[in-house]
Amino acid sequence: MTDVVASRIGLPKLSSLARFTFVDVILWALRLAVVIVVVGGTIGTLLKGRYAAAQWFDLVMFGLTIGSVYALIALGYTMVYGVLRLINFAHGDITMTGAFAGYFLASSFDRSGLLDRSPILAMAGILALAIVTSTTIAVLTERIAYRPFRHVRGFAPLICAIGVSFFLEQTFRGLFGPSIRSYPDPKWQRAAIDVLGFSVPRVDIIVIALAVVAMLVLYVIIQRTKMGTAMRAVSEDTDAAAMMGVDVNKVVVFTFALGGAMAGIAGVFYAFVFKQVYFFMGFTPGIKAFGAAVLGGIGSVPGAMIGGFFLGLVESVGPALFLDGIGIPAPYQLRDLIAFTLLIMVLIFRPHGILGERMAKKRA
Amino acid sequence: MMAGAAARRVAGSRRAPPSPLQRAAVTGLVFGILGLYLAIVGILAMIHGRAIIVGVLTLGQATLVAIGLGTGAMIVRGDGEHGAWSWSTLLRSLFAGAIAGGVLALLVVAMDALDLRAIFIALSPALFEMLTFDLGLAGGVLVLIGGSAALAALGALLTLGPRAFRRHVLIGCIAVIFFGVFQELIQIMMQYGDIIGAVRETIYTWEGLTPEGAILIFVIATAISLLAARLRGGERSDAETPPAQRRNARIAKAAVAVLLLVLFPLLAGSYIGQVMMLVGLYILMGMGLNLEVGLAGLLDLGFVAFFAVGAYTTALLTADSPHALAAFTAIPSLSYWEAMPIAVLVSVIVGVLFGIPVLGVRGDYLAVATMGLGEIVRVIVQSDAAAPLLAGAQGILQIPKPWLGNIELSDPVDLFYLTLACAAVAAYCAWRLENSRLGRAWMAVRDDEDVAQALGINLVKVKLLAYGLGAAFAGLAGSIFAVMLTSIYPSSFQLLVSINVLALIIVGGMAACPA
Amino acid sequence: MFRYRSLRPWTYGALAVAALAAAPIADAKETKGPVTDDIGVIVIPKGAPIQIGGYWVLSGADTALGTDQKRAVEIAIKDIGGKLVGHPIKFNAEDSLCNAEGGQTAATKLAANPNTVIVIGPSCSSEATPGAPILWKAGITSIGTSPTAPALTAPDRKPEYNGFVRTAYSDIDQGANDAKYVYEVLKAKKIVTVHDGSPYAQQLATVMAANFKKLGGTVLSAEAVAPTDVDMHPLLTRVATEKPDVLYFPIFVAAAGQIIRQAADIPGLKGVRLLGSSALMAPDLIEAARDAVVGFRFTYPDVSPEAQGKGYPKFVEEYKKMFGEGPIAGYHANAYDGAQLAFKAIEKVAKTDKSGNTYIGKKALRDAVFATKFDGISGPIACDKYGECAQFKPAVYEYTNADPKTFKIGVNPKKIWP
Repeated sequence: MTDVVASRIGLPKLSSLARFTFVDVILWALRLAVVIVVVGGTIGTLLKGRYAAAQWFDLVMFGLTIGSVYALIALGYTMVYGVLRLINFAHGDITMTGAFAGYFLASSFDRSGLLDRSPILAMAGILALAIVTSTTIAVLTERIAYRPFRHVRGFAPLICAIGVSFFLEQTFRGLFGPSIRSYPDPKWQRAAIDVLGFSVPRVDIIVIALAVVAMLVLYVIIQRTKMGTAMRAVSEDTDAAAMMGVDVNKVVVFTFALGGAMAGIAGVFYAFVFKQVYFFMGFTPGIKAFGAAVLGGIGSVPGAMIGGFFLGLVESVGPALFLDGIGIPAPYQLRDLIAFTLLIMVLIFRPHGILGERMAKKRA
Repeated sequence: MMAGAAARRVAGSRRAPPSPLQRAAVTGLVFGILGLYLAIVGILAMIHGRAIIVGVLTLGQATLVAIGLGTGAMIVRGDGEHGAWSWSTLLRSLFAGAIAGGVLALLVVAMDALDLRAIFIALSPALFEMLTFDLGLAGGVLVLIGGSAALAALGALLTLGPRAFRRHVLIGCIAVIFFGVFQELIQIMMQYGDIIGAVRETIYTWEGLTPEGAILIFVIATAISLLAARLRGGERSDAETPPAQRRNARIAKAAVAVLLLVLFPLLAGSYIGQVMMLVGLYILMGMGLNLEVGLAGLLDLGFVAFFAVGAYTTALLTADSPHALAAFTAIPSLSYWEAMPIAVLVSVIVGVLFGIPVLGVRGDYLAVATMGLGEIVRVIVQSDAAAPLLAGAQGILQIPKPWLGNIELSDPVDLFYLTLACAAVAAYCAWRLENSRLGRAWMAVRDDEDVAQALGINLVKVKLLAYGLGAAFAGLAGSIFAVMLTSIYPSSFQLLVSINVLALIIVGGMAACPA
Repeated sequence: MFRYRSLRPWTYGALAVAALAAAPIADAKETKGPVTDDIGVIVIPKGAPIQIGGYWVLSGADTALGTDQKRAVEIAIKDIGGKLVGHPIKFNAEDSLCNAEGGQTAATKLAANPNTVIVIGPSCSSEATPGAPILWKAGITSIGTSPTAPALTAPDRKPEYNGFVRTAYSDIDQGANDAKYVYEVLKAKKIVTVHDGSPYAQQLATVMAANFKKLGGTVLSAEAVAPTDVDMHPLLTRVATEKPDVLYFPIFVAAAGQIIRQAADIPGLKGVRLLGSSALMAPDLIEAARDAVVGFRFTYPDVSPEAQGKGYPKFVEEYKKMFGEGPIAGYHANAYDGAQLAFKAIEKVAKTDKSGNTYIGKKALRDAVFATKFDGISGPIACDKYGECAQFKPAVYEYTNADPKTFKIGVNPKKIWP
């Protein structure tokens, strides 16, 4: 058993095992601790009977809602990583640009009453503007900031991406000020819908459903179109694809555009659920979504979707389920702790993410 | 800068070579948009408030001038190597300059006609006044377009002029801008002493440089530049200088630089001391991270965790507060000199513990895993759950400053020397490590883990040593950080610190210790 | 540890040299012109500006908090015509990042400028804790505009804080009052508190809970969020299971806006009264919470025209004119009053000689700050001997309209208690 574990986590095999059992001891202790917390916490919470079924259902729905936003953002990370092996740190801020663009249109629709009269038309308009803005900015950043670093090895591109992130934040702060603005809150979004006998705010359902649709469309684009095939070819092997006559530049631009579009959608959905937009809003969801992408196996499109939903769920349900039962005060303060512990556990025991097998084999 | 690069690309990489006139239009447009960006982001109005030469030039106006000159210079650059003087160049520069100014003029007109400020908060009346030069709408537009065109022409002429001449003028201008922009700092440094004070009064008023002062600085800087060029020219001519002598000269130069670095805070006062000390702490951390990232190739975004461990250990051991260990355990309250090695030791232990779970994780996954671990440390430190031990959001206060005999090291300058001394020792250790067997093993691991393992390198030991020793440096920095502030809060240990340190060593050049 | 041993001789050598050479220029009793002062005299030559320092958080996630206060000081400078005792005012504002190292660096910079007369700021207690002693060591009085940690003006504060006063009030006053209001006026018996991990909110939540227990109430749980959290639904679901009478969250605009909005989505929270605190007096909160803000209550000092604060509406007008938007956070009035306090104290002690040079005694200025009393736009200002200058007159306000443009203290939000 220990052998299997040792080889799975990439430790030197058997030979050094005798000398380094302490590593295994610690890893086992870690595993055991997590299991004890999870199982003990869950049992404790359920025994306490604090939460009713309806509340568990609510927690799951809340998790899926924010998870769908994470998933949309994570797609941008994962596609860019697949094609360029670049962690596009600024991707969260590109989400912010989409949300901001949507804000101005949404509030003018709100003033003119269009948002209440024909919600579908208004939503389509807002989404379109956000997608155009995010896509444009994503493509521009690639063109101006990332392309010169395309063939630079090492960590310089990552630092450049971090620089782009700050640049976008400060630009938007300069343009629109540091204060918070909020999306309109039309009545049709607030109305509750019955799902399996539980009532759920309509906006949550809309966001989850539309996010899934957007992801399916993306999946079809990647699997069925010529450009999508080229994209997959480049992410398999850039040089070979180039030799086969694929225009790598075009593919990269296309990838950034797709990622930008998803970020634009994510920005608007995020803002429709959580309302507030400000220049720093993209940073935290960006980091979380990056975690989600890794969780699902970076480079894998379905992985990013699953990772996003999974992370959202764990963040929402986890503190109540695991920590409440063992009597930890203020469990929701430790929400990030749970999210990151999950991330690390996945990385330790399944080093290439939930769906990352394919990628992993290739790179090793 | 970025826009400049873009301009070159836009101007240079069209499929069909564009006509010179088209290129001029694009160049003008790019520079105009650069100006437009600075204006609507609010930078222009902000730096307009900073005078360079009192009553003559503000930093904002200097930026506008630079945009104008840059347009012209770019036109000439775009002509390539064989760019030479012609009427066409002049006309194109005028044209491009007018376009660049025209973009800003459009903004002015739009500001006058529409209420843009409802969306773009930076488009204030102050910006309007600045861009119209207090001449009203029509006058402002004319000055913007005309002035920009004239400046572009001047920029083109300057670029076409002799290289040497251009360089000296440029250095003079940069010196004036430097002395103008940093006038506050320079004036503070020039407070003491009668002669220096008198010099200060001639070149500065309280708001910025006087016109006479600006001319003086320009002349001196240009003269120095000329002189330096003359000297260098002389040096180059006697090429038969023996290499040994040249190396000696280089070492002498380096020694002078180090000496200046060491003495500078002493002369410049506590603020510079404070800033240099923060820089010193970053350098200390950078050296530690360099062991991990640069040598062993382990990309670590959670480095701040070790920094936090060092700071909190020091605080818990020395502070005069209810959260100190001395307050509720048998552990006595320690002095800083006793607490520092313990802090370093604890950091090493945490570093090794930190490294164990992520031993098998590679590459970018490792970056995420370490980032997660770093965040976990911060969340725990901040949480209410750990508050009984670590004080949570309130932080640990009243950490005493270190004492040296009877002297309290309280001034930033004193602490700067402490940092410097630690950094020197750390640099020595890092240098020895780099050239040791361990250092070579790290590099082997960095270059290819599998090969390294095949060569008989014990990956586990080598990697854990990298984490542990890297953490030691950060722990040392954290320990100094705690006594520098005398109070620590969890908010000081953000992910951003890790990123900054990483940026530092990447900019400095990976794996190179002096960087 | 090898490192330690090898370091020792090095440090001693270097530090001995450093300590000898950098022996501080002691600010002892000093006489310049007509002024003699115990710790030093600042001379402002004729025509030179009078330099006022400031440090607030001006970047990062808390930008709005500090920017708002810096703007308020700029308005105060404009309101007195940009001139003080015959000299133009030069306002040096530093960014102190709302953390300890930022506060220390900014304070060191301001203290290193020998012409800094007085400092206004900072915004966060974590900045003031290291910052204020550095300034006072250089003989500079500082006026905190929103750090509220009780320790800063506690009777047992260390002498190095002697030069610090604040125009914001201590969490102790605020917390005690909030507990009293909840227990006695709202007749609540069970509460849940939420803080955001900032020293301010954590302290206030703790003080309030302690007082509430003392009065006989029950604190069901003390919850916490991160200031960047947006999804409050899970937390609120958890709170709903405890069935409190009042949910008390003395946190900042962004997270508070989310709680106010999302509480409406949680069926179990119907009938639970939400209560915020001083950081929420801002048009930005209306923008952040929109429709859900109507009926939302928070505690704040009494600034109704009857109680005080006649100048406030005019201040808001001026703010909009200068910055293109209304006030964006909760402590601009305190900052404006901090600036006023500084100006009035300087006017009191500054002496100008015949040739137009002005002399200001540092100790005298500190004493004048402590002695100055006036009616500010946030309420009456008068410092006690530990530097607490805002007289805390408690009140509770309630928002009545979801349009940020209608923000007007006394109308929206309107005072409902006392």
